[in-house]
Amino acid sequence: MDEVFKALADGSRRSLLDRLHARNGQTLNELCEGLAMTRQAVTKHLAVLEEANLITTIRHGREKLHYLNPVPIHRIGERWIRKFEQGKLAALSELKRQLENGDE
Amino acid sequence: MNLDQFKPLTVYTIYIASTPEKVWEALTSAEFSRKYFSGFAVEMEPKLGGGFIVHAPDGSEHIRGEVFEYDPPRKLTVSWNVNWPGLAEKLGTTIVTYEIEQAGEAVRLTLSQRHDRELSDDILSGGRTGWPAILSGLKSLLETGKAPHIEMAPPVRLLEALKAMGIKMP
Repeated sequence: MDEVFKALADGSRRSLLDRLHARNGQTLNELCEGLAMTRQAVTKHLAVLEEANLITTIRHGREKLHYLNPVPIHRIGERWIRKFEQGKLAALSELKRQLENGDE
Repeated sequence: MNLDQFKPLTVYTIYIASTPEKVWEALTSAEFSRKYFSGFAVEMEPKLGGGFIVHAPDGSEHIRGEVFEYDPPRKLTVSWNVNWPGLAEKLGTTIVTYEIEQAGEAVRLTLSQRHDRELSDDILSGGRTGWPAILSGLKSLLETGKAPHIEMAPPVRLLEALKAMGIKMP
């Protein structure tokens, strides 16, 4: 999980994920188009993202395509966000109970 | 069917602390799938050309497909057609491939969903909301023995898009 947070803690890498979110399954060339980064820098960022399992590459014909892999982010959501929601719901339900009972 | 004509539109990878054999079994048996796939039961004839069926929790046949690549416990490719009238004609066949590789002490499972035509994000949103939860549940089940119960919201975006294409839910 450390790798995921480290990989996400960089604006350039987040923008690469945004590009894949807008259009999934791009080649390295397509990902480099219109970016102010060198091809070498993009390759390096992609390697960090792949290491953190935030992107997956597969071969299709002669092309290597890059895909956004949201599974680690989903796992983070399951581990943290749900818990926070549950806490909020429990607090609200306790507030309701107290107000309705008129104690306090 | 020439699988090369099908381009991957969605690809997911998850690492699971398990063995390739167990991951294979979990992907292809109803006993497992009911636990991580919101009660859906996967039934597969374990051979090339065999049938691949997924029953919904109410017992109805939700998906009917065929086994196109069969290499246990490494690679499985099936057609994954949701059984709604007119859906397969409009969207074409959906191909789902599971690839299972040993990665150190864990197993790397890659799922790809392929199509023979471009599909809108609205249509693809169904799988994109469903698969991460399913794969995550599969991981939890194999690693801890239980999968969290996930209440899957109806894929509103997908249903709207299908409606706009004239495809009705049964």
